[in-house]
Amino acid sequence: MPSGSIELPQGTLDLLILRTLSLEPLHGWGVSERIQQISSDVLRVQQGSLYPALHRLERRGWIKAKWGASENNRRAKYYELTRTGRRQLEIEREAWEKLAAVVSQILETA
Amino acid sequence: MLFRRHAAENELHDELRFHLEQQVAKYVKSGMTEAEAVRRARLEFGGLDQVKDECREARGIGFVETLVQDLRYTTRTLLHAPAFTSCAVLTLALGIGANTAIFSVVNSVLLNPLPYPNPQELLAARQNESRPNLKDMQRLTSSFASSGGVNITPMDFTGKGEPVRIHAAYIDAGLLATLGVQPISGRWISADEDVKGGPRNVLVSYPFWRDFLGSDPHVLGKSIRLSGNSYAVIGVMPSSFTLPKEPADIFVSLWAAYPEAAPEREVHFMHTYWRLRPGVTLSQAQAEIAQVDRRLAEQFPDGERDRRTMLVPLHDWLVGNIRPALLVLFGSVGLVLLIACANFAMLLMARSVARQRELMIRASLGAKNSRLIRQRLTESTLLALLGGAAGLMVAKLGTTFLLALKPAALRRFAAIHMDVRVFLFVFAVSLVTGLLFGLLPAWSASRGDIAEALRENARATGSGTSRSRLRSFLVTAEIALALILLAGAGLLIKGFLRLRSVNPGFNPANVMTMYLQLPKTRYPEIPSETNFRRELLARVNALPGVEAAMVSDLPLAGNYVGHRVVIDGRPTPAVGTEPLVQTLSVMGDYLSVMQIPIRAGRDFQPTDREGEPLVAIVNEAFVRQYLADQNPIGSRIDWIRRDEPNKWMTIIGVVADVKHSGLNQPVDPAVYAPFSQNDEAWRRFMTLVIKTEGPVAGLAEDVKKQVWSLDSQIPVSDVQSMDDLMAVSVAQERFNMLLLGIFAMLALTLAGVGIYGMIAYRVNQRTHDIGVYIALGAQHRDVLRLIMKDGIKLTLLGIVLGLAGAVALTRLMASLLFEVKPTDPATLIGVAFVLAAAALLACYIPARRALSIQPIIALRCE
Repeated sequence: MPSGSIELPQGTLDLLILRTLSLEPLHGWGVSERIQQISSDVLRVQQGSLYPALHRLERRGWIKAKWGASENNRRAKYYELTRTGRRQLEIEREAWEKLAAVVSQILETA
Repeated sequence: MLFRRHAAENELHDELRFHLEQQVAKYVKSGMTEAEAVRRARLEFGGLDQVKDECREARGIGFVETLVQDLRYTTRTLLHAPAFTSCAVLTLALGIGANTAIFSVVNSVLLNPLPYPNPQELLAARQNESRPNLKDMQRLTSSFASSGGVNITPMDFTGKGEPVRIHAAYIDAGLLATLGVQPISGRWISADEDVKGGPRNVLVSYPFWRDFLGSDPHVLGKSIRLSGNSYAVIGVMPSSFTLPKEPADIFVSLWAAYPEAAPEREVHFMHTYWRLRPGVTLSQAQAEIAQVDRRLAEQFPDGERDRRTMLVPLHDWLVGNIRPALLVLFGSVGLVLLIACANFAMLLMARSVARQRELMIRASLGAKNSRLIRQRLTESTLLALLGGAAGLMVAKLGTTFLLALKPAALRRFAAIHMDVRVFLFVFAVSLVTGLLFGLLPAWSASRGDIAEALRENARATGSGTSRSRLRSFLVTAEIALALILLAGAGLLIKGFLRLRSVNPGFNPANVMTMYLQLPKTRYPEIPSETNFRRELLARVNALPGVEAAMVSDLPLAGNYVGHRVVIDGRPTPAVGTEPLVQTLSVMGDYLSVMQIPIRAGRDFQPTDREGEPLVAIVNEAFVRQYLADQNPIGSRIDWIRRDEPNKWMTIIGVVADVKHSGLNQPVDPAVYAPFSQNDEAWRRFMTLVIKTEGPVAGLAEDVKKQVWSLDSQIPVSDVQSMDDLMAVSVAQERFNMLLLGIFAMLALTLAGVGIYGMIAYRVNQRTHDIGVYIALGAQHRDVLRLIMKDGIKLTLLGIVLGLAGAVALTRLMASLLFEVKPTDPATLIGVAFVLAAAALLACYIPARRALSIQPIIALRCE
């Protein structure tokens, strides 16, 4: 793994997946590429964690899956956000921002 | 479901493969070779199967699928440990099965309602009553909605073919209303029919209607012949209906069938039943009856002076005397169940420790706690289910077996079947035990320090000291409980043997009996009866190798006729306090046939007959009670007569006491008189008593032929040997003994298995130590001592505790013991030895295996 990339805790991965899928439906590889892209290559998702996360989110009903044709005309499983998923995204985003604010505050004052 | 799973699997595979391919394509595009790209992509992805696993996990497979998986796995592991599995299943099967069988019996007998509406209102009088008394009591009381009485007497039913003896219920019409069961067709005998000169109507029972009247749908109005008279059938009772105490085939009015007895105030031969008016309590009714008793005693001092009617609830009256036995069984059942559960628990604990390493490894490989626990639970549950299924079979067999050897007291309760509620209860207990003891180790296992457990195996006898303490406690408890049961069984066995060894006062060997009743229509007067008897005896005695005689009532047959006597030369006692003795009539050499020893005087001779001076023979009890201070031979006695001059009988002999009412019952004073000097025509019955050298085939048929050669219409019944009667008279005690004996054996087996398991387990766990011990030069003796030490200690402790428990508890069964103290030392010591020996054996067998441990292998092994 290239140096400088960060390890991603599990809860955060869920948040990122939800965020990524809120923009448009993607298949698993697409999600991984997109996250890498947006984070300017800093974040590289472990495939071993990505797919279990996707399946977990699917089971919880926050994303739903549909098989379709990929860009190069291969069969791929596309995921998209559900309405509850959208709501969950908001909840998690809020929680994350609150956490980040608090941690920064502590780091600054300590 | 499987189809979907297959499809889902394919989808997962496709999805992941797609990702890989995309990644490979990306690398190829950035310049890598195909091979390099593939390698790189695979590496980054990680273990494909592991990812798949996690995906599946993340999806959460359906509950049913997990269950199926667990079941399959559990079955495999159980099959791989056949000793453990079979022990566990066997323990549960015995515990559940035996307990269900007994609970069913107890349940049916003690707890099931009687087949009458509102049975809690029904009372029975302890004492027999006469019809006039019953009528007066009915007239003078207001506590009862209705009441009635019944007497069971044999009658002969002449359908087609030979006359058959059946049980007839001579009733007072109120009885049917009191019991309250409507006939399925026709009607009850009404009160206006139940009078002197009333119509001869009969109500038949369902089995009688089915077996003797061919289930004739048009039976109402048809007539049947009973004891020489015609009776019209007016109704059929339902199949569920029985009288409280005895079986009856038909029901007739006492006035119609036995008009001589109906107006007799002194013939106390009816069982009476009373139904309380709503709102009236037992004590109120009892008080009212006591008042009536007083009035009757004043009005009729001759016969009713000592009356004291006691009313008891019907249910109590019926089961009262078997309740103690059943409660003892109830207790035993509980004990056996405890032992079985303790064994099951120990087995589970031992197994859990044995599998601890495996569980630790699985936990370290990522198996979730909840999954491990669920698997343990599946195992215990599966075992409990298997044990339950096996227990069901044992229960069915057990119930059948119990019904086969049930004594007469239980015969009334024909409807004893295996009770499903009982089975479910006992099964639930085992299930809970399984869950509890399967769960406990699972908890501790999942929390344990993985590294620690992987490092050492089972210096883990040390670890779980709490567990091994629990095990020791369980084993000790099992032994104590087993001892209590063995003590109970031992006492019952001793009591039974004592009972069997009681001298009945006669010799039952090779004595056959049969009962005959002469119908009144053809034998209206005494001379005809006497001629019949004499001629029959002559014919039967003419058969080769036969010595025959007659008596009115056989010992141990349950019939007893009593009469008051007056002794010549004694001051006349107050009316109603005259001596009451048993009366027996004989013809022929009865005393010598039954080998009843003559203590003084002589036996009856053929010259002691009608027209000759009246004679009598008394038994020792009579002499002891009434003639202790004078020479019995030559004394004169007579029956109490109301308005006639005395016809004194001279006592010509004294015979030994005969246990007439039962081997464990006291002997009443008795007077024997010749049939031919009998002056009461109503005694038309007799029992033939036939002795032979050895068993003779076809004897009964030959004798019957002789009877019918004299009179072809005489029914012959109750053909049985005195040996059989003796056996039947102790049937209750034998039943108790066998039952408790079975339980004690069960407990002993289970406790033995428990100890065996514990020691075997110890050997297993301490193989290493034992190997060291042997390598250091220990002898066989030393090794044995090391291993058996704990087992022996626990056994002794258990025995001591058990003895204490036995002493405390066996007094509860004192009423079942014949001439044996509940704390009989010989029995207690004896069973203690038996238990100790069994436990020692159970310790020794696995200990012996330890002797063959090779030190080298043992040392290498861990």
